Amino acid sequence: MKNKGLGEFEELVLLAVCILKGEAYGINVKQEVEKHSGRSVLLGAVHITLYRLQDKGLLKSEMGGNTEKRGDRRKRLFEITTQGMKQLEAAQDVRQKMWSLIPQLNSGQ
Amino acid sequence: MSSKNPPNLANWLLSKMVGEELQEEFLGDLQEIYEERLSEKSRFLAMCMYWVDTLHLLFGFTSFKIFKTQNNNTMMLKSMFTIAWRNAIRQKQFTLLNILGLTIGISISLIIGLYVYHEKNYDNFLDQTNNIYRVNQPNIWGDWTEMSSTTGPNVADALREEVPEFREVTRILNQGSQFTSYKTKSGQVLSFKEDQLFWAEKNFFKVFDYEMLLGNQETALEAANSMVLTETAAQRYFGLDEALGQTIEMREWDGSSKSYVVTGVLKDLPTQSHLQFDVLTSLTSAKEQMDMHGWKWIWTAFSTYVLVDDGADVALINDKLQAIPPKYAPPTTKRIFNQSFEEFTAGNPWKLDLQALPDIYLSSDPPFNSFGPIGNKQFVQVFMAIGLVVLTLSCINFMNLSTAKSSSRAKEVGVRKVLGSLRNSLIRQFVFESVLFVSVSTILALVIVSASLDWFNLLAQKELTLEPVLMNPVVWLVLIGFVLTLGLLSGGYPAFYLSSFRPIEVIKGKISKGQQGKTLRNGLVVFQFSISICLIICSLFVQKQLSYTSKIDLGLSDENVLQIHNIEQFGFNTEVIKSKLEGIAAVTQVGKSFGVPPNVMTGDRYRSTEPDAQVFQLNNLRVDDDYLNVLDIEFLAGRNFEFERPTDQYSVILNQAAVELLGWTTEEAVGKHVAVASGNEDEFEVIGVAKDFNYHTTRQAIGPLILISDKNDKVWDYGAGLSFLSMKLNPQSIQTSSDLKRVLDQAESALNEVDASIPFEYSFMDQAFEDNFRTEQRMATVLNFFTLMAMIIACLGLFGLAAFSAEQRTKELSIRKVLGANTGQLTYLFSTGFVKLVVVSILISAPLAYWLVSLWLEGFAYRTPMQLGVFVLASLISLVVAILTTGYQSLYVASRNPVDTLKGE
Repeated sequence: MKNKGLGEFEELVLLAVCILKGEAYGINVKQEVEKHSGRSVLLGAVHITLYRLQDKGLLKSEMGGNTEKRGDRRKRLFEITTQGMKQLEAAQDVRQKMWSLIPQLNSGQ
Repeated sequence: MSSKNPPNLANWLLSKMVGEELQEEFLGDLQEIYEERLSEKSRFLAMCMYWVDTLHLLFGFTSFKIFKTQNNNTMMLKSMFTIAWRNAIRQKQFTLLNILGLTIGISISLIIGLYVYHEKNYDNFLDQTNNIYRVNQPNIWGDWTEMSSTTGPNVADALREEVPEFREVTRILNQGSQFTSYKTKSGQVLSFKEDQLFWAEKNFFKVFDYEMLLGNQETALEAANSMVLTETAAQRYFGLDEALGQTIEMREWDGSSKSYVVTGVLKDLPTQSHLQFDVLTSLTSAKEQMDMHGWKWIWTAFSTYVLVDDGADVALINDKLQAIPPKYAPPTTKRIFNQSFEEFTAGNPWKLDLQALPDIYLSSDPPFNSFGPIGNKQFVQVFMAIGLVVLTLSCINFMNLSTAKSSSRAKEVGVRKVLGSLRNSLIRQFVFESVLFVSVSTILALVIVSASLDWFNLLAQKELTLEPVLMNPVVWLVLIGFVLTLGLLSGGYPAFYLSSFRPIEVIKGKISKGQQGKTLRNGLVVFQFSISICLIICSLFVQKQLSYTSKIDLGLSDENVLQIHNIEQFGFNTEVIKSKLEGIAAVTQVGKSFGVPPNVMTGDRYRSTEPDAQVFQLNNLRVDDDYLNVLDIEFLAGRNFEFERPTDQYSVILNQAAVELLGWTTEEAVGKHVAVASGNEDEFEVIGVAKDFNYHTTRQAIGPLILISDKNDKVWDYGAGLSFLSMKLNPQSIQTSSDLKRVLDQAESALNEVDASIPFEYSFMDQAFEDNFRTEQRMATVLNFFTLMAMIIACLGLFGLAAFSAEQRTKELSIRKVLGANTGQLTYLFSTGFVKLVVVSILISAPLAYWLVSLWLEGFAYRTPMQLGVFVLASLISLVVAILTTGYQSLYVASRNPVDTLKGE
């Protein structure tokens, strides 16, 4: 499974976790992804992806403090690891490079 | 399940199937998103999404991972699963019909199962349930063959004396409504009307070990004037914390008040209890009455309960009890009626019967339970039957569709065999598929039931819950057993039949499709429709009977009669209130009575004063001279009370039934005399005969009634009992609800002017009559719903078969079309087969329904006639539904272009 590259949804989730900066957990990741991608996402899908990313070592997590809103249950807060950051940057690089090679766009500028 | 919370069943599933380290997070997230959705969207949607999310999480994080491993067995399972899935997807219509039909069937039988389970488990929460018995005796006030759940106070004393086998004997008495008041610390006085208030003996809790929150079970009911409240009642006054030692005042019958000290607080009684009370007071508080009447055998207001040891021979003890009344009752009959025991019983045995506690709630004998709810065995039986029938219907559906569908897979079986598949693995595949179907439906049904239970509870006025039942491993075993049995049965036939094909014949096309099992399938369709039609006829008749009973001529005008309760609390002279009420503009007449139809229950023993007259049980009602006019009662002979004549204080009026019972004609009766046969035998002159009117539920025929003046102080219950002021309202002046509100306000202030501490309570007579049939109405709604569901299931089955048959006969019909048949003819040809089946069903179900309905109607005094029209209507409904169901398929098949269907050959 090493360095297999990121799936599209995985990338969105990773980005959302970065945006939320230490406050990321199931629901706000879901909302963040929905907000930016404009499509509706199932909570389960987010959870499954978060845990897969954690298994790959791209995310780490710990239990956070409890809130009244959730029936007094704690959240699991996710954070990106250095390896995760590297993967994201690598993905971004690949795209950047490929974008720059598209002829029409270049000529359009 | 409160309406705010997410479905418990989903939470429970999640907590069972997902590892503990994940649970907290998931449940938290689910809850949060649920609340958010609840605030934005409907509750239903939020609930559905909750389930979707939960199931998604379940699939993502549980043992479904086994499909991802590479083990040989799981690979096999995975392959079977894939094939099942592909087949399901390929034949979407069948899959949908199958799952839908089964799910509906299972859901309904599950709900009914819960209902029956609830009704059959009354009083099971007590430790000693199986060792507690109630002592019943004949109804000594009337029909000696009828049993009564109450006895005189002395029965308990006699039992203590005579039967050492009883570990405890305890008695309770329902005091009816009582007015209480409590002075808070701030000096404010709270007054309440307590409707469920019992006297109880100090050993009460030794028999009924209700959970006590505060206080000591042993001593709580020992001292005089002590009181035990339930939690809810305690909250009403002062809350739990400072409940013990508080003082509550209770108004006595003469207007004075008596103080009670709170010595205990009970946890609220479970709804599944045949005793329902809010307050217990110690029997020792009623020392005066007990000293005076405690020796009596005819003060039949007590329920007597006994506790026996484990393994006691109850039948033997029961035999022994029969000797007790003849030994102890004679002093009572002698002193009160001046009759010997034999004269009083008139040869009827004065039995004492032990009735086991778990049997009390659902037993129809004795017909009344004075201390709480009583169930209806008939409903439970009917629903049980319906549950079984609906389940059978949907199982039949499933089997029918599976066998029909399977023959189209003959080719698949042939090819698999050629490729080396063993018969065993083929059988396994088919059985696996049908077990899978049944499991999916069962799970869906559980979800549906848990989501719709609130709604059902509202409809049936019950408090059914799913979760506690699911905690019971037996229930799971039954469910799993059901899934396997139905799966094996319905998958078994195609499995064994198809796998026996010789591949060469199948592939050559020698096995004619779909002919096998046709008779069986048709038989099953007939069975389904017979049952649905039968249900339709029955529910139509139930509706008819209910509207019939609500429309029969009551013999009195019950509309616009406003009844004010609690008048007895104002003391005996209520003329002031009466004249105040008469002053209200919308009121045309006001009358006072000591009971109001349809709840006139009191009665006594009377006889005519002619020599050797027999003693009869007559219902009695004490009224003033205006009351009968308020009700518009017609007089057949004689006249109403006229209190200007002093003699009318001691006159009586009889109804027709009473006149007949006493052996007179209507004309003879006026001027005759009637005497009360208990006690001092004062004679009263009959001044009028009233036309029979319903003073009781319309379930029963009108019984004999004697109307006594409310001022008659020569009868023993003078001054006792509840009294009412009934006002006839002028319909013109109460046309809007605000008019009515104004009248109520005026009446309330009129009463408050006299005594503001007495709660204002009112009712309308026509509503009270309708209330009598409320349970029946409710059950009729539920029955209609189940009938509809049964019909839907039958239709799903028919639709599936029609679709299958259409598929099979496409070529035949196309060839007919080529040869010149038109669409109409083809549609006709195609549908007649199914219509014939429905006609056969009608012929089978009509007599069955007739028998069932007449059985049910026997319990009513006024019966709706059994009209042919209802049968015709039900037949038409089912025919139309059947034609519509098959019509779509037939039209579709008949209108297809033969080129499309035949070009393949």
